[in-house]
Amino acid sequence: MGDRDFLGEFEHIVLLALLRLEDRAYGVTVRQEIELRTDREVSIGAVYATLDRLERKGYVSSHRGEPTPERGGRSKRFFRVTGVGLKAVGRTHRVIQSMTEGLGLIRSYI
Amino acid sequence: MTSRPHLVHPPRLAVWLISLFALAHEAESILGDLLEEFALIVSKSGVTAARHWYWRQTIRTLPRLAGFSFRTAPWLTLTAVAGGFLLRKLIGPLIGSATFAVIQKYQTFFENHFSAYLFFTSTGLDIEHLITFLLIGFIVAYVAREREILATGMLAFIFGSLAIAGSAYMAIMGNDVLQWRLMWYFADSIVIVIAGAIVRTHRLAVKARPSSA
Repeated sequence: MGDRDFLGEFEHIVLLALLRLEDRAYGVTVRQEIELRTDREVSIGAVYATLDRLERKGYVSSHRGEPTPERGGRSKRFFRVTGVGLKAVGRTHRVIQSMTEGLGLIRSYI
Repeated sequence: MTSRPHLVHPPRLAVWLISLFALAHEAESILGDLLEEFALIVSKSGVTAARHWYWRQTIRTLPRLAGFSFRTAPWLTLTAVAGGFLLRKLIGPLIGSATFAVIQKYQTFFENHFSAYLFFTSTGLDIEHLITFLLIGFIVAYVAREREILATGMLAFIFGSLAIAGSAYMAIMGNDVLQWRLMWYFADSIVIVIAGAIVRTHRLAVKARPSSA
């Protein structure tokens, strides 16, 4: 991906959730983290569709855990942010910061 | 409240729908995640709330799964759909000829059993029509590996749209002679998706066999 690719809103949120969760990031925890912090119901399908897209862009990588009985013998798929993904988050943050600078948005919405 | 959440199962139909639409590697993670959270909600809020939550998740997840399936293999899916459409054009006349040949071969029988002749040329032809579409659905689903429901659903949508367009055209032209046949065209679409579901379910069962042995 080029240096000019910016993250979509939900891509950004998902990457931040992965960074928060560190090595505990899989479907359930990512979905719950987003719901908790954004206060909106998120479908597991939306989370996986975004994670798969981010993986194809090289922003995240995934690996499978061991199958567990409470999951009906199914394994977890853990995700982590790659170096390229970290750069993308930083780039998007800088752009948002630059665009909001001087607007006094935070003061007017508190 | 339920004290043993692991004894409660999520809605079977919802689980089946997700397994129909999801790619194999996706289905394992998604169904596992949903089951884990379902058990959590059962223990916190009860079975009814958990089932509602599961259905809400399923309904919102299916379009995402269909979209992802298409994006990962658009040409395979489109080829299967186009192939199915062309197959209808090829197979349709052949089966029509075969039906006519059967009538000719058993002409004496039909002459002596007029009610059988009537059944064969009305309901029999409708059944033949459905079998044709079932066969097309099987072939399309077989070609569109892991995207059986998506491909058959798209083909069903095309045939369904054509039926609606035909219905509208006949209504505009004031010709309602064939209107009653239109319900069979919608039946065609349903039968195509049923064929896709059968192939998908069969493949999932075959895949699950070695691990359960």
